[in-house]
Amino acid sequence: MGLTKYWESCKISLYNSLVYKADFISNSLFIGLIIFIFVYLWKAVYGSGHGVIEGFTISMMVWYFVMTESIVTAPGRLIEEIGEDVQSGEIATKLNKPYNSVLFKYAYNMGQTLLRFILTFLVGGIIAFLFLGGVEINWLTLPLVGIVIILALTLHFCMMMLLGIFTFWFEDAKALNFLYNKIIFVFGGMLLPLEIFPQWLAKISAVMPFSFVAYHPARLFVIFNLNNFIRTIFLELIWIALFSGLIAIFYKSFIKKISINGG
Amino acid sequence: MKQTSSIKGHWELFKEYVKLNLATALEYRFSFVVQTITMVLNDITWLIFWWIFFTKFGSLNGWQIEHILVLYALLNLSYGLAGMFFGNKNHISSMISEGRLDFYINFPKNILFHVLISRSNWFGVGDALFGLILAAITLSLKQWPLFLLLTLSSTIIFVSFAVLAHSLAFYFGNSSETSRSLNMGIVTMSSYPSQMFGGVAKFLMLTVFPAGFISGIPVQLLYQFNWFWLISTILFSLMFLATSIYFFYKGLRKYESGSMITSRI
Repeated sequence: MGLTKYWESCKISLYNSLVYKADFISNSLFIGLIIFIFVYLWKAVYGSGHGVIEGFTISMMVWYFVMTESIVTAPGRLIEEIGEDVQSGEIATKLNKPYNSVLFKYAYNMGQTLLRFILTFLVGGIIAFLFLGGVEINWLTLPLVGIVIILALTLHFCMMMLLGIFTFWFEDAKALNFLYNKIIFVFGGMLLPLEIFPQWLAKISAVMPFSFVAYHPARLFVIFNLNNFIRTIFLELIWIALFSGLIAIFYKSFIKKISINGG
Repeated sequence: MKQTSSIKGHWELFKEYVKLNLATALEYRFSFVVQTITMVLNDITWLIFWWIFFTKFGSLNGWQIEHILVLYALLNLSYGLAGMFFGNKNHISSMISEGRLDFYINFPKNILFHVLISRSNWFGVGDALFGLILAAITLSLKQWPLFLLLTLSSTIIFVSFAVLAHSLAFYFGNSSETSRSLNMGIVTMSSYPSQMFGGVAKFLMLTVFPAGFISGIPVQLLYQFNWFWLISTILFSLMFLATSIYFFYKGLRKYESGSMITSRI
């Protein structure tokens, strides 16, 4: 009973998203364009004599990118959305509702996120398939990769939620959103797998939370390994727990500073 | 109504808007500084991506990290200038679909020019600053006049492309998301070495989706000067500007006022 309201909010956001088809289509087309660019980028690299680079063939490299792109762009401009709620005071109207507003936001956002993830993956997958063909996947391990992806999206949400709350002090949600995205793009391994990085940077990036949103799930998708799977799940859960704790602390402190006038 | 008052009049209007927009930005000083710093950091992150890439692969179809630095100098400066001085370019479609062009239509100045200059995107300051710093590091004094000329032509293409993309709203109603995606698309395409594209992609980049004229050809010109490509680039930017103006005014005939009462403070 307690969780039903969150499930319902997840469904509502899914239905709402389906209404704004144009937004979804144009967003997917843009992401399709980026994947198209990366097909050309990797073609230029592999074309100059590389058969396999750090364990990745050209199709694995592009499918890896399709997966990272699908995960990273799925939550949309969540930091800006939360920032708007925080700065406009809209969040105050949600405090007296019979639900946990952070969990509610998570459930609501997850509905849209999952839909965006599927659409982006479909568009990207079609482009990757048309240019380079498929990639070898073990269907038995796919559900395990699915769990890693759900946790990656949850961790992504947690980091964005925390930054969204920070906009109360920092004021500029758009700037934070920009910066966070670029950190995930580069240090999270969205654009390039960490194997391409200089070793010292790869080692640092591999343990940072950003790589558990992009690099680790996408690598498991193209090169599944049970040990890596267990390690990834374990560390994803640790990062989620840590960020949830931080959200609780900062949210509490933020709520204390809100003053509600009128009714 | 006569829309074409003197060039001097338009220049005065432009100066007044720059002052007004700057004063507005400085009113929110903290936000302004944060936006500028964030954009510089954002641009640095892209350079880190390319540094990682070229550290591993050395070159890409003849391009090396130096080419990328010049590309980012040009791209950031032109995109930054377009945002700073013609910042309303990204809001045209919502103004059309919400019927908010009335104020500009009734004003005795060129409508499109007035729409474009009436807002600044101060994120552009960070980009422009970063572009200038990069250019100062990478270019010799001799290359600067050509660099500035090419920056001007890229700025014209950025603004014209935005006008074209947002004018779709005259024909298709609310097309803000599509226009935004098209604009993000051209910036993204421009930020990669054009030498890696071939076939249809290359054709599109030199015609309707002119990312090649924004960054690829200018970077080549700065390294290997060629009169033919310089004249082509300048002519293309002017033709593209003329096309966008034509497309906007043709669309304007379909514009329906929303009779919205707005206050501009």
